[in-house]
Amino acid sequence: MSMCHDMNAPILQVVGLSVRFETPLGLVHAAEDVAFDIHETETLALVGETGCGKSVVASAIMQLLPGNAVVDGKALFSKMDLLKLEEKEISRIRGNEISIIFQNPSLSLNPIIEVGEQIAEPLQVHRKMARRESHHVAKGLLSRLGLGERSLMSMYPFQFSGGMNQRVMIATSMILSPKIIIADEPTKGLDRALARDVAAEICKVMDLTGASLLLITHDISLAGMISDRIAVMYCGEIVEMGKCKEVLGEPLHPYTRALLDCLPERGFKPIPGASPSMIHPPQGCKFHPRCPHKTQECMQKQRIRKIDGDGRQVRCWQY
Amino acid sequence: MLAILKAAQVSKIHEHGLIFKKQRRVLADVSLELEEGRTIGLMGDSGSGKTTLGKILAGLERPSAGSVIFQGRDISRLRAKEFLEFRRAVQMVFQDPEGSLNPRKSIERSIHDVLSLIKIPKSEWKERTLDIFETVGLSEELLCRNPCQISGGQNQRVALARALLLNPKVVILDEPTSALDISVQAQVLNLLKNLQKDRGLGYLLISHQPEVVSFMAQEVFVLNDGRLTKSN
Amino acid sequence: MAGDFKRMASCKATEWVKIRRLDMRGLRMALFGLLLFLTIIVLAAFSDIFAPYDPWNRFEPFLAPCREHILGTNDLGNDILSELIYGSRVSLIVGFGAALMATLIGTLIGLFAGYFRGLIDEMLMGITDVFLMIPQIPLIIILAAFLRPSFWLVALIMGALWWTSTARVVRSKAMQIRETSFIECSRSLGFSHMHIIFSDILPNILHVIMPKFLLTIASAMISEASISFLGLGDPTMKSWGMMINFAFTRGGFINGYWWWYLPPGLCITLSVLSLVLMGFSLEEREEETMRIE
Ligand SMILES: Nc1ncnc2c1ncn2[C@@H]1O[C@H](COP(=O)(O)OP(=O)(O)OP(=O)(O)O)[C@@H](O)[C@H]1O
Ligand SMILES: Nc1ncnc2c1ncn2[C@@H]1O[C@H](COP(=O)(O)OP(=O)(O)OP(=O)(O)O)[C@@H](O)[C@H]1O
Ligand code: SF4
Ligand SMILES: [Mg+2]
Ligand SMILES: [Mg+2]
Repeated sequence: MSMCHDMNAPILQVVGLSVRFETPLGLVHAAEDVAFDIHETETLALVGETGCGKSVVASAIMQLLPGNAVVDGKALFSKMDLLKLEEKEISRIRGNEISIIFQNPSLSLNPIIEVGEQIAEPLQVHRKMARRESHHVAKGLLSRLGLGERSLMSMYPFQFSGGMNQRVMIATSMILSPKIIIADEPTKGLDRALARDVAAEICKVMDLTGASLLLITHDISLAGMISDRIAVMYCGEIVEMGKCKEVLGEPLHPYTRALLDCLPERGFKPIPGASPSMIHPPQGCKFHPRCPHKTQECMQKQRIRKIDGDGRQVRCWQY
Repeated sequence: MLAILKAAQVSKIHEHGLIFKKQRRVLADVSLELEEGRTIGLMGDSGSGKTTLGKILAGLERPSAGSVIFQGRDISRLRAKEFLEFRRAVQMVFQDPEGSLNPRKSIERSIHDVLSLIKIPKSEWKERTLDIFETVGLSEELLCRNPCQISGGQNQRVALARALLLNPKVVILDEPTSALDISVQAQVLNLLKNLQKDRGLGYLLISHQPEVVSFMAQEVFVLNDGRLTKSN
Repeated sequence: MAGDFKRMASCKATEWVKIRRLDMRGLRMALFGLLLFLTIIVLAAFSDIFAPYDPWNRFEPFLAPCREHILGTNDLGNDILSELIYGSRVSLIVGFGAALMATLIGTLIGLFAGYFRGLIDEMLMGITDVFLMIPQIPLIIILAAFLRPSFWLVALIMGALWWTSTARVVRSKAMQIRETSFIECSRSLGFSHMHIIFSDILPNILHVIMPKFLLTIASAMISEASISFLGLGDPTMKSWGMMINFAFTRGGFINGYWWWYLPPGLCITLSVLSLVLMGFSLEEREEETMRIE
């Protein structure tokens, strides 16, 4: 997977995406000036603190945000701006060409429909496949995700364990072999070995159909394993982006470094200080209240800067 | 030391199917003891019955055989009032953070409901709410929102806050950090450890991450095929 | 619970688009219904302001519509427009009374049956089945014929008979919500059953109860009109059904006095229409959220 795909044109191009939510206490700046490209067959990982806006970016691309959201910017997919499409057009794209694996399985699965039917339904609706056949395909996919037993197809989501529902979600989203898969914490609640299996299965499907993946995850080692490039988000902004090996190998941004210091193998050292408010974010560099290297300059606004020709980007005054 | 909460030869058989009942044995003769100030780690494959064991210990599901013993007494024999005491003393934080809050109540309402449940005078509510929010590292900005308007990890910490408000003796943590990134995960784990030191809490920590379990737990068990084995 | 399932559903089915479009049209219809219904309520509440005369006042009988009597007068010389406006009160009171009672009983029984399940469920659902077997309209007619009840009593009887379908819907919804983890979470925190039922489950099924409530009002209004039309209503009250009844028995139909029987008929139709429009579009929204929840 980890080939370089910089040559082909990006399949999804997000430019200047910002999302604000209106709440009684003020505007929540959940994403600001987010920009990234995803190339064909490439995997881009999006990592960052909880509540930094990862899921919001994913939902914004699919026009799935609730009513109190104000979205700016562009998301170009095959010459269309996804953010400006009519509901009718975007819902044809959703699931068919871009599909999303949601973070919370229990809210996304219908509790009163059998699991097998839920996975097979898209095939019947979009591909006009017969019921039997679609169930057969669904069963095949499920068993490759480690749920092979026959009787499982006719059980209901509340009879499944957390990890099993997680895999059902993955199956529903991948069954139509979309061009782009957005996976929001796909391996949450799965043990290490199974997480690897599931990730491998996602990659296999991607290889087969030439799909690209936007992987949102907390599991940095997983991100390091299966993704080509990685983007680190902090408080609604992408602070560092580049090839996976480079970012994880020699992190430049102080936040990335602090984040990697939290890794279990380095002893669960939390980053000092609290996560910033998104209603009144810090002036200038948003990380400055917690940054050990801050200078006077850091109180001013930052732009993302290219460091080298390879598309390495950092949002920090030091570079 | 005397165990506060004990599972004695607990078995659980789940039934499913409408007409042809299929049975699935999830737990077989599981015994486990939870003590004050100690953390027991519980690991196992997905679908191995960890959550089921947690729910049985919290009195939310009945075991098919065996019993759960709270401070030396079988919980199925407790009188209503004692059972309530047991309920308060043993809290469970669920695996699925987004689902554990009422979608039609604001976060503030959800917290206040718990405060009124434990009969805190109204005048102290605000203070207590801010207190517990600070403990779990959340900002008060979130209070006015509904559960679908906050992120996965924020939901998880609200659920944790609600459980901690009751001053429990034992907390069953079902993947308490699954929706948290490593930095906040570290925060929460350290918080849990400090609480344990201060209040002498007993934990049953269910997790998939060996590092989390070994960081937190003194003893680790593994569920496999319904049987519990000690691991080292 | 709506959140992601809605998004999920929207990712899966093309049908969803159709529903969404319907929804826009439904919204317009609902608004129309709401306006209509509000007008009727205002008319009923301030009858004495809107009605040109006291409906019991006698003028010249059988007047065709003219400047003084926009809708003419009946056999006793009562002004028909005033009768019409005052008549809305009876219809609305019967409708609301019956629906309120039916919804209250139905919701309570449904909630308890769905939440507690087991023996309580079986008993409550047994009672529901018994009520379902009663031939309701004939029973109401017989009761009305023999007891000659006041319209209040008619409303109560209807309410006491019509809660069954609400109970069933509420029960199945309650059973579904009971399985979600936030209910389990509430149980683990030690909330009482009553708190869980009324504070956690009820708000999550209000959107199913509302359309049912509106549709029950509509059918109660129709039934009141039919009973009155059959001459079994409360003769001391002027209701729309009663007006048609008088027009029928006292020669209004035969002589072609359309202004006597047409307006009350139209009023009944319009108010039922307004309720049904609101109820259906709410129900449609609910159907959409069903795929969502
Ligand atoms: N509808 C909304 N209204 C107001 N604020 C919102 C809304 N949805 C999300 N937010 C806020 O936006 C921020 C980003 O949320 P998001 O769900 O994207 O986080 P995340 O990065 O996915 O975190 P996690 O890893 O915990 O899932 C959060 O602080 C959240 O409180
Ligand atoms: N209500 C139910 N009816 C039937 N089977 C059930 C029911 N609840 C759980 N099960 C089954 O019991 C088994 C254990 O489920 P449990 O939720 O305890 O797993 P788990 O160890 O928590 O897994 P995970 O790590 O994926 O959350 C699963 O195979 C599941 O299908
Ligand atoms: S800009 Fe300054 S405060 Fe921000 S990360 Fe860089 S050094 Fe730290
Ligand atoms: Mg998220
Ligand atoms: Mg579990």
